[in-house]
Amino acid sequence: MDLTPARHAISGLVPREVWVPASAEAVAEAVRECAAARETLAPWGGGVALPHERAPDRCERALVLGALDAMVSYEPDDFTLTAQCGVTIAELRETLRARGQELPLEAPGEERATLGGVLAANASGARRLRFGAPRDRILGARFVTGDGVLARTGGRVVKNVAGHAVHRLLVGSEGALGVFVEASLKLLPLPPSRAALTHGADDALLGDAARWSAFPRRECAVLTVLGPRAAPSYTVPGAPFTIFTGFEDDAARVADGVRFCEGALGASRARRDGHDVPPLWRELAQLEEREGTRLTFTSAHRTPDAIAFLAGHAVAETLVFHAAHGRLHLWPAPQDAPALLALAASHGFTPIAARGVALSPRPSSGATRALRVRISDALDPARVFALGDRWRER
Amino acid sequence: MPLTADALDELRALLGPEGVLSEPAALFTYDADAMTLERVAPDVVALPRSTDEVAAVMLWARAHGLPVTPRGAGTGLAGGCTCETGGVSLSLNRMDRVLRVDHERLFAWVQPGLVNLWLSQQLAPAGLYFAPDPASQQVSTIGGNVSTNAGGPHCLKYGVTLNHVLGVTVVLEDGTSVTLGGEACDAPDFDLASVVIGSEGTTAVVTAVCVRLLPVPEDVQTMLFDFESVEDACHTVSRVIAEGIVPAAMEIMDRHTVGLVEAWLQMGLPTDAAALLLIEVDGPAVSLPAQVERIGAIAREWRARSRRVAKDAAERALLWKGRKSAFGAYGRTASGFYIMDGVVPRTKLAEALATIYRLAEARGLEAGNVFHAGDGNLHPHVLFDAKSERQQQDALEVSHEILRMCIRFGGTISGEHGVGIEKRPMMAELFGADDLAVMERVRAAFDPARRLNPGKILPGGAGCGEAHAHGRAPAQLGGTAFRPDAEGPWI
Repeated sequence: MDLTPARHAISGLVPREVWVPASAEAVAEAVRECAAARETLAPWGGGVALPHERAPDRCERALVLGALDAMVSYEPDDFTLTAQCGVTIAELRETLRARGQELPLEAPGEERATLGGVLAANASGARRLRFGAPRDRILGARFVTGDGVLARTGGRVVKNVAGHAVHRLLVGSEGALGVFVEASLKLLPLPPSRAALTHGADDALLGDAARWSAFPRRECAVLTVLGPRAAPSYTVPGAPFTIFTGFEDDAARVADGVRFCEGALGASRARRDGHDVPPLWRELAQLEEREGTRLTFTSAHRTPDAIAFLAGHAVAETLVFHAAHGRLHLWPAPQDAPALLALAASHGFTPIAARGVALSPRPSSGATRALRVRISDALDPARVFALGDRWRER
Repeated sequence: MPLTADALDELRALLGPEGVLSEPAALFTYDADAMTLERVAPDVVALPRSTDEVAAVMLWARAHGLPVTPRGAGTGLAGGCTCETGGVSLSLNRMDRVLRVDHERLFAWVQPGLVNLWLSQQLAPAGLYFAPDPASQQVSTIGGNVSTNAGGPHCLKYGVTLNHVLGVTVVLEDGTSVTLGGEACDAPDFDLASVVIGSEGTTAVVTAVCVRLLPVPEDVQTMLFDFESVEDACHTVSRVIAEGIVPAAMEIMDRHTVGLVEAWLQMGLPTDAAALLLIEVDGPAVSLPAQVERIGAIAREWRARSRRVAKDAAERALLWKGRKSAFGAYGRTASGFYIMDGVVPRTKLAEALATIYRLAEARGLEAGNVFHAGDGNLHPHVLFDAKSERQQQDALEVSHEILRMCIRFGGTISGEHGVGIEKRPMMAELFGADDLAVMERVRAAFDPARRLNPGKILPGGAGCGEAHAHGRAPAQLGGTAFRPDAEGPWI
């Protein structure tokens, strides 16, 4: 593990120190110490996404959680797991796979990406709609607030409504409200059968709403569109778009899904089955980390035709659109970003993240922001979390 | 202090005369939810019809220094909507419309007073439904489901209310209205909706809900097995899930409960069985035969004596009727009973049940169990003679011991009913002071004046058990009449 400050820079902002606490209590102590010194820190997981995020105004310390990498308890028969948040997603996956189970989410750079980082980012991958995001899988957590209090909310059982779910609030808060040190998660059995189909699509097929209309009710695990240069090694040569559909269930249902899909789209250009399928989902997740200016949108759209308006646009070359849950990633030239934001907005796409351009995608209406600031002040009264300020922006 | 005539006139001016109840007889019907041991009448009942009217009520209450307690159908079992310190009972029952359905993108905006089952009934012609199905779904409202993060028998496969809510429009204590989340997944903000969900009306008043819709499963198969030991039934549950089959529901009734249900309804249930296990699988018709066969084989391995598979919808309803009648059967037999809502890890079910029987027997009481076995959510019932103070006290103590056992086994004190008043004292046994203080901070960020349903969930107030006694039947509740009959719908 390279613990030099230079390796923990956020878009060029290099912290003065890198701390590697060895226990949950040490995390709390580090946060208190930082608050007492009126300095700021950024919780640091695998360093997959954070180095590319917009730099905060200041960040004196990187708080690396990598030493907190213990599996606290794994109860295969209960389909629950409690782990420290520095454990990597790849390690989790291997542990679970050995018992025929999975945490059904994909994160970029899973060899480095940590559980804490995935929770903080609410990262989910192509299967998000069918299997939920981390907010749907977290059962409880231990975390450290901005004034160094080590607290626990939720629990370890799959059903629990006792108390306020502060752990869910921390999911997706990008290190602004607390530092995850341990989390309990609800697992799933590995599906008995999986299939992934690849189809090429031209502009007409992509925009044919009637053809796609039956897909949402089929509850595909994956329905993702790639531009031709998004991933040259597995997009369909010569096709303006490549469509990936995924089915995960018992064998009969998967076969039924494949029949439906080929009935709607014609014979597939490629097919993967069983163990060959999950690597494809991981590759799709990895595409999010493509370098350059990136705009990420969410939408209520559920079918590929929602992005027909991008056909012929330069940005269509590298787009990644997880149609099943309406998530769109675009890599425009920086000067094109503002126009693209407006165009996407007119088609129902709301920006949720941006890299390489100045954009604060948080809703800025008065009451919403006021509530967000009160929440930030409640959990980080000393403003110790370097990534918290962006949530307070107007 | 009673409200002045002027203050009531102000409220009537905001909501119209039919939107305000202030007569003592009317207030009496809002003095509790289904946890009827704790009764406090509100000072006034407000029945708004829109988000704007809710906001107006909040500002009016603020001006008069009154707490506000949101209320749905009043089917809660933990005192969550009881106006413990008086003030305004804010009934959302007149906001009961489906606002918009998007059949292509599979979501709907609904008002909070919409009855859960009505939504699925309205969607049925389009082949869609709302998955959370608390047993109270015939009367409980979507807003109430949101406030308790309600589950139900089918949440084993489909998840709880949280997993089916995309966004909520809420009114905050200061009368401002905000939408948290929305129609798209993962809005670019803190996931504030996920904190409002399950907060039992203590963070904000939900005035609209954007729910996810699912296609109605193509086929359903319902099976009933009987076992000579509860342990074997529990092992069957674990084994089915361990094999990667996720049934829609897995429900167990113990011998005690089966006996009471059979004595009442004469359905032909095997009263000598130690446990009945109901398993339902749903999905595409192509998938189900293999699942039914495999589940049957697993049950036989664990010594199931017989298997009954529903041949049609009528028989399926009959199999479920036994399960759903447990509440009514208890009420018919004992003059009072406590219901609990603890959760243990599924693998500890058998041990937990043995402990429950032992705890009850030690005080000469009877305990029955009917529960969501698939997710370890127990609903033990401790029966007592409501005329005997001592029995009632013993039952209360047994119920607390049972919840302590749930904590000791690594579980929790509420799986779906909520904390409300009833389990508030237990919160300090489940969580540490720092944990509770952090919860309080988040709650205060939503409601700095602590005006929304004050005193609930977090310990500090007076507690009591969740008890039901004859003469305090839920027929008196919340303006929504239902009877503790054969379909007794509450657990």
